[in-house]
Amino acid sequence: MIRAVVETNGLGKSYGRVHAVRNLNLTVAPGRITAFLGLNGAGKSTTIRMLLGMIRPTEGYGTVLGKRIDDLRASLDLRRHVAYVSEDKRLYGYMTVEQLIRFTSSFYPDWRPDVVKMLLNQYGLPPDRKVRSLSKGMRTKLALLLALARRPELLILDEPSEGLDPVGIEDLLQSLVTQCAEGTAVFFSSHQIAEVERVADQVCILHQGRLVMDASLDDLRFSYRQIDMVFPSLPAELQSQLQVEGVESIRTSGHQMSVLASRNADAIMERARDLNAGSIEAAPVGLREIFLQKVKEN
Amino acid sequence: MLWYKTWLETRSRFLLSLLNIVALCSFNVYHGNEGAMPYTKIEYYYIVLHGGHTMLCMLWVLAVTLLAMGGLLREKAVGTAPFTLALPVSRARLVAVRISMVLGQAMVLVIVPWIAMFLIGTWNGKTHSLQQAFFHMVLLAGGGVALLGTALLVSSLVEGEYTAPLVTFGVLIGISVVLSSSSSLHVYSPIEFIRGTEFLDRHTRLLTGPIPWLRIAANILVGGLLLTLSAKSVQARDF
Repeated sequence: MIRAVVETNGLGKSYGRVHAVRNLNLTVAPGRITAFLGLNGAGKSTTIRMLLGMIRPTEGYGTVLGKRIDDLRASLDLRRHVAYVSEDKRLYGYMTVEQLIRFTSSFYPDWRPDVVKMLLNQYGLPPDRKVRSLSKGMRTKLALLLALARRPELLILDEPSEGLDPVGIEDLLQSLVTQCAEGTAVFFSSHQIAEVERVADQVCILHQGRLVMDASLDDLRFSYRQIDMVFPSLPAELQSQLQVEGVESIRTSGHQMSVLASRNADAIMERARDLNAGSIEAAPVGLREIFLQKVKEN
Repeated sequence: MLWYKTWLETRSRFLLSLLNIVALCSFNVYHGNEGAMPYTKIEYYYIVLHGGHTMLCMLWVLAVTLLAMGGLLREKAVGTAPFTLALPVSRARLVAVRISMVLGQAMVLVIVPWIAMFLIGTWNGKTHSLQQAFFHMVLLAGGGVALLGTALLVSSLVEGEYTAPLVTFGVLIGISVVLSSSSSLHVYSPIEFIRGTEFLDRHTRLLTGPIPWLRIAANILVGGLLLTLSAKSVQARDF
């Protein structure tokens, strides 16, 4: 059996009466790119910080690379094998780019100077410039360089594309795919659904501290359908008659009804035909629609 | 490399403090004789050994307050804490390196200004007592550990980029005012202790009696306790 790189069981964090994360059962598989989607304040960063030992969970437990996140010694050990890029990418402003690279490299035996050299050129980072004088985009690139210059088992990125221009985002996405191909599991949080759709293998949606969806992107593409139907009339009981297994949401407009189905599309269309639907069309659904539906539903 | 980081983080504050303290104390000593009253026997010693030392104490407290500014709470305020905490380094080690660096710098801020004052006095053709100089230095270095511990503890409890040094300075002034205003508590005032007020002979302006090693040890113990509390507080905190 392949060991999950991240596994949480009922993990939670509360600040007084406020529950930032609740009963989180999350699994991140090795060799895959897992995206962590959620609105602002959904609990994504809190979860990531719990995984890295920066925040102590108030309930449940979790492991990263098989090591308990609430054990100080184990947490220290796991950080040797995990690369992390934080949300705001703040780095030591009083160091130069070169000093920061030298400083960071001293903690990791798996450091790759050839990758540093290549990324310095690719990102156009000036080695002798103070970090405080870099733009946000440049700082983001430097943070990525520091994470990618290693050979981590797990790469965790919190909103990695924030502050990057389109070329930078393209380079980033390419880097994530390359890292994954080299055997690194990638776990990243994002608001950018288009980016997630492009590179992710697995999608987890967090809403108000709860995991509301954990599915592979291929499964989503295969099973989710938007079914548009036109009925001669739309009596009130029609919606309840269409509540077949797999129906996630129903919207009506005039004589038209749109059903978002997570599975069982054929059975839903069959039922619609039985209910005298005049026209029935089913189309694949994008991650955006699924995300919005999950967020609204919860 | 953690030492390197801590040095880069604190070097501007440290070097500026050192430069200012040495300059002000040296200036005070250089013009010392001008301040001495012609009709008293108190001459150079008053200015060099005690006046200079009093000035050094005040500037030292201010400098230590600035040096204690830093650590993970300040990093949290400026946004670099996630980067630091993601390194494979324990919080205990981060705190230990920081405390050691600030302690070392604080000791340099005792020794170097004193050497400068001593050299300026010698250059001015004035005699000195090494024993008196050592007495003053030991009081400031030993007694100052408790003040340093207070400053580092406050900086590990109070968040905000510049809030900690302001609160620290307020706490230190508050402690001094409260203890100095009471005749029974006066001897416990850390500021009065590092100045050597109770050991001062008012006629000669020299420190008298044996060096109070026991009280110095007690100050170091209190300082150590405060530093331990500071480390525990950082270890227990969410970032």
